[in-house]
Parts: sequence; structure tokens; C-alpha cells
Amino acid sequence: MSKAKVNGLKILTKADICLIGLLVVIAVGGIGLGMNRLASSGSGALTAQISVGGTIKQTVPLREGYRQEIQLKNGDHYNVIEIVNGKIHIRQADCPDQLCVRSGWIGIATQQIVCLPNRVVIKIVAAENDLDDIAR
Amino acid sequence: MDIRRMMILSLFVAIASILHIVESWFPLPFPIPGVKLGLANVVSILAIAFYGWREALLVALLRVMIGSLFGGTVLGPSFAMSMGGALISTAVMAYIYQYHRSIFSIVGISIIGAVFHNSAQIIIAALLVVSTGLLWYLPYLILFAVLTGAGTGFTAAYLLLKIPRDCL
Ligand SMILES: [Zn+2]
Repeated sequence: MSKAKVNGLKILTKADICLIGLLVVIAVGGIGLGMNRLASSGSGALTAQISVGGTIKQTVPLREGYRQEIQLKNGDHYNVIEIVNGKIHIRQADCPDQLCVRSGWIGIATQQIVCLPNRVVIKIVAAENDLDDIAR
Repeated sequence: MDIRRMMILSLFVAIASILHIVESWFPLPFPIPGVKLGLANVVSILAIAFYGWREALLVALLRVMIGSLFGGTVLGPSFAMSMGGALISTAVMAYIYQYHRSIFSIVGISIIGAVFHNSAQIIIAALLVVSTGLLWYLPYLILFAVLTGAGTGFTAAYLLLKIPRDCL
């Protein structure tokens, strides 16, 4: 290491450059895959899935004019969730970091709010398609 | 462990703790609370290069404990994420430094460390809330890891060149 030149990029080895290239390809591919999932997630109505520790506790619609307040209790812990006009946020929580409250409002498919201490995840999903509902 | 070595390692722990605390002031634009860039990995690399994997893991362990103590997040989920990320990335970097130093430069080793650091954090977060949906942020964090890993790698390489060996 002591012989390595630190001027500019000369320090990089071939393996370094291959590694960087590979990681960028993986990352961009993954991001593309995620975007593709977002695009194909359907144009149906948006709903918010509220789950605690991996199990969905409640699913609420996100649309104009709809309001709801949810007192989510999980043992001794609580999160107060508010839904107003197609957007959702955690208004209040007893978690020590308060990061979920500071996350603010979300309202686009695949957006998430996470409260790690209370194991709460709020995820916005688009309904697969409205065709199913019409068929019924 | 002689006194000089102990003092330098304490200094490493202090610097790493400060980096750990400072970066917690700048949350990343991710909905996953507590994800850190891993700037303190600079110190892990220095500890690996100067002393070895045992000392480097010790420094990483102590910095997460001290950093979390000052950040007020001891034993919370972000503590688990930081600890997992710090120990795994330090172990992986030490292994590559030991056995594959001829292939990868310090910058390459640092990037690999950063990738493991970020991946470990997100996997721990996903396990905590039992949601695989969080793993969709992994590619973004890998992209971040290339940038921060290169940054910390160049910094570490520069410091390794500048710090005189006889002061250690
Ligand atoms: Zn919270």
C-alpha cells in the first residue's frame, strides 16, 4: 500500500474498475426493475396498507374527500395515523426516534413510511386493476 | 497491548464516534429511518491497515456503542442496523485486505465495505419490520455505496500515505 500512488485515479486497479462497473449495472438494473414494478402496479385506486410486524392490520382508501384517523395500538406502543384527501401520515407516535412522524405525508404508489421501533410499515399500493370490480 | 497502541486505538474510536454522530445529523432521503452512509469506515480501513482485523472490529464495536450513546439510540433498531453494518463491513474489508490486497486497491476494498455496510443495514431493517418491500431500496443504497465507498477509500488511501509509520 505504501507504494500506491494517490494522485487521481491511478490508485484504482483493474478489479476496482470492474467492481464499480458491475455495482453500477446491478444498481441501475435494480432501480429499473423497481420503476417497472411501479409502472405495472396498475392504475387502479390507491390504498394504504398498514402493517405491524409483517401482518396487515388495516387497509384504507386514499381518495379525495376521504378522511380517517387511526389509533394503531401494538402492545404498549401506539402510532396515530391520519388520512386526508388521498394522503397519509403518522401524526403522533410514542417511538423514541420520531422519524416516522418526521417522514411527513405520502400519497404515491410504492411510497412507504416506516416506524422501526414500533415495527409499523405503511405502504401505498395501487389496486391491480379496476376490471375485476367491474366484472363482479 | 502497549500504551502507545492503546492510545492510538482510543483516538481511532474517538474519531470514528464523531463521524458516526455527525452523519446521523444528515438523514438520507429514504423512508427507512436510521440508514447511515458509513463515513466512519475510513477509520475501520486505517485500523485494518495499521493493526489488523481484531483491532478494527474492536474500534467499530466501540464507535457504534459510543456513537449511539450520544445519539440517544442505544439498543434501538437503528443501533442494530449500525452495529450490523459496521461489523459486517469491517470484517469483509479486513478479509479482502488480508487475502486479496493485490487485486483490489484501498478504494476498491472501501467500496466493497460500503456495499456490505448499506446492504446489512437495509436487510436488518427489513427483518425488524418483517417487510420485504424495503429491499426495493437496496439498489439505491448500492449506488450510494459506490460514491461514499470511493470517497472514504480515497481519504483512507491518502491518510495511509501521509501518516508516518513511526508514530504508531
Ligand atoms: Zn416512529
